[in-house]
Amino acid sequence: MSAAPTTPELDLSWLDLYDDPTSAEPTKKGLTLDAIDIGDYASQEDLPRDMTPRLRGATAREDAHRMGLTYNTKHDVWADQCRSLYEEAVQRQWSSARDIPWDTLKELPDEKERAMCQVATMLAEVEFIAGDVPGQWLPHISGDEFEVGLFLMSQIMDEARHTDVFRKRALANGGGLLQQGAGLGLRNLIEAQDFTEMSVLMHVQAEGFVQSMFRMGELIGPTQADKRIFRMAAQDESRHLAFGVMHLKHVLSETPERREEIHHYLDKAEDRSAGGGSGDVTFPPVFESLCILLGGGKDRFDEGVAKFLLLRRRQVKEYLHRLDVAGLGDRRERLGSALAQYAN
Amino acid sequence: MAEGEPTEGPITAEMRAAAQALGWEEGLLERAIDWGYSPRTVVSALGTKLAPAQAKSFLDREPLKPDLTWMDAPTEWGVRAEQADADMGLTVGDIMVGSYGEIPDLWTDRTEIARGSNPQLGQEDMGYTIFEKAVVWTDSVADLYERAIRDRWAPATDLGWRSLEALPDEVEKAICQVMTEHSERAYAEASVLGRWLPEISYGFVEMKLFMSSVIYDLARHAEAFRKRALSNGGGLGLQAPTDLIRGASEARTYPELMAYLFVQDSAFLTFFRHAGDIAQNQLERDLYALVASDRERLMEYQVERFEAFLLAMPDRREEQQRYLAKAEVRLAREWNDPAVREPLILLLGGSRENAAAGEAALTALRRRQVEEYLGHLDKAGFIRSRLHSGLAVYLEEPETAPA
Repeated sequence: MSAAPTTPELDLSWLDLYDDPTSAEPTKKGLTLDAIDIGDYASQEDLPRDMTPRLRGATAREDAHRMGLTYNTKHDVWADQCRSLYEEAVQRQWSSARDIPWDTLKELPDEKERAMCQVATMLAEVEFIAGDVPGQWLPHISGDEFEVGLFLMSQIMDEARHTDVFRKRALANGGGLLQQGAGLGLRNLIEAQDFTEMSVLMHVQAEGFVQSMFRMGELIGPTQADKRIFRMAAQDESRHLAFGVMHLKHVLSETPERREEIHHYLDKAEDRSAGGGSGDVTFPPVFESLCILLGGGKDRFDEGVAKFLLLRRRQVKEYLHRLDVAGLGDRRERLGSALAQYAN
Repeated sequence: MAEGEPTEGPITAEMRAAAQALGWEEGLLERAIDWGYSPRTVVSALGTKLAPAQAKSFLDREPLKPDLTWMDAPTEWGVRAEQADADMGLTVGDIMVGSYGEIPDLWTDRTEIARGSNPQLGQEDMGYTIFEKAVVWTDSVADLYERAIRDRWAPATDLGWRSLEALPDEVEKAICQVMTEHSERAYAEASVLGRWLPEISYGFVEMKLFMSSVIYDLARHAEAFRKRALSNGGGLGLQAPTDLIRGASEARTYPELMAYLFVQDSAFLTFFRHAGDIAQNQLERDLYALVASDRERLMEYQVERFEAFLLAMPDRREEQQRYLAKAEVRLAREWNDPAVREPLILLLGGSRENAAAGEAALTALRRRQVEEYLGHLDKAGFIRSRLHSGLAVYLEEPETAPA
């Protein structure tokens, strides 16, 4: 029989690492990330980064493995308010199973049910990639900006819920999934080679376009359940958008020399797709289904087209407004032609 | 309006005034009506405040005729999912009906397509690499996902932060060291898992939903442990050892990743289940219990996925021994790291003076972790043929003390 585990003498050197006794105080919103962003543990600009899994404030191990390349400066990934956006995400999680009044679904005229199912099919695709993209970037975020990582992890959960709720909608009211979307612009998001490129294309542009559509959910959704789905999803999207806008603002403020580079990403995305990663609402099945829902039926398709034009105007105007808030107001002068026609 | 009654026509003075204010071309309203647009549509167009050029391109032409062929997409139609359990609501499991509930053994579509919808020709390859059901799937994923959402909690508000009271200095530091370690471990595992999401194709959407909930759980665990470290007069300690997580990030395939993580997920679950023994207050007891509850779901997935994988791919059974061995070596090494081991000895013993009792309790905990790990493997139908000596040693009976 071999010996029981050997027990080396206690080293206890790990007891001697506490120079800054810290007692964060809970706030009215509980013990938040903002509340613990204090003293030596607070976020800082010029921390020495080591590319190990160490989270900000922990004492580094001399023998720690590197885990691959991570961003070396805070402004490459940071967004002011990312901590409060994360906390809001945690507080405002909702359940697609129980927080949607599924019992308010009612039998709809066939054309309306099909139109709603087509829109749900498109959104079930769009939201799927919106979860993959942040996942792809997690390993590149230094533990010194772990709050950005936490925010992206909450976004992954949000997007899962959106994927699931639109799939549920398509399968809950006598319909089904219909035609795959155009896919235009979606690859842009996963192709991004830089965090800011990804954030501008996904958070600001794509999610912005989707958000403008969700906010017209009162007009689009034929039932109370549909309207509620759009409202709840819009609430989540607004956090993702806020992250993107605040990140872009931070980048432009800290590294103004990146302005042209960022325009270049937008040039490419706007050229490639009128939907800019939003699933392309001009793709005929999506366009037509939206027009039927907005107009109130196939026989009022023209009226739906007029409202669709309003949707496009809102999408583009809100997109430009968000870029303006972030400090990229000159985008208006170089907007891609597919979008510029709606910019007046 | 009765036939023959005098009328000013479909265009009202208000409409004309609105068109004029918007700068629309003279006569455009009349031409729109001539083209066949209804007055209601013209009013809608005015309401959207279209620019003159837009208004002309919309209204000064024959109305668009929708194609509507998408309405006849050859997909399963007429689905009305029913709630199986009113308390759970309309679950992902409920909508896995008819063809929408069929998970193919091999998913062949490389595009971004919602499973069950009609493919659009000419779509781009999205670069997914995982197309085999046996690699990722277990039938419980939909249920696990809904349970994760139902059982959600918020570290900021669901723990009694105001109840914390000062602890002896060494005890507080020991807690902070444990919190530092597990905050990093949770965050790092979430990062590693996140990187795999874009590899998994849409055929297994329900599994990705569940994995998203796991990533979110781990985020909250990282957050909660950090908050505890910074809330009671302590701080963060030495970073966690990096051997174990580095091995996870080295995985070349999803089965390798999961086999490797099986070891740590099992060990950590057992740890959190029994961490009430090191808790110094109600907040910590609650925290460990909530974390353990989340990790139970992850382990359930791990066990069931592994079982399904081994059944579907028996030729890969022996290969798994290697991944498990790699993780076991690293886990055993980390268990002997002073900053991992000693805080637990202090907390289990109660003080430095009672270290011997703490060591004995820790050995018992490690033994439980190894036993439960083997139990999890057993449940998955896997016999660990060569348990690493660094873990096996905990299963041996201690030598009887000489009389």
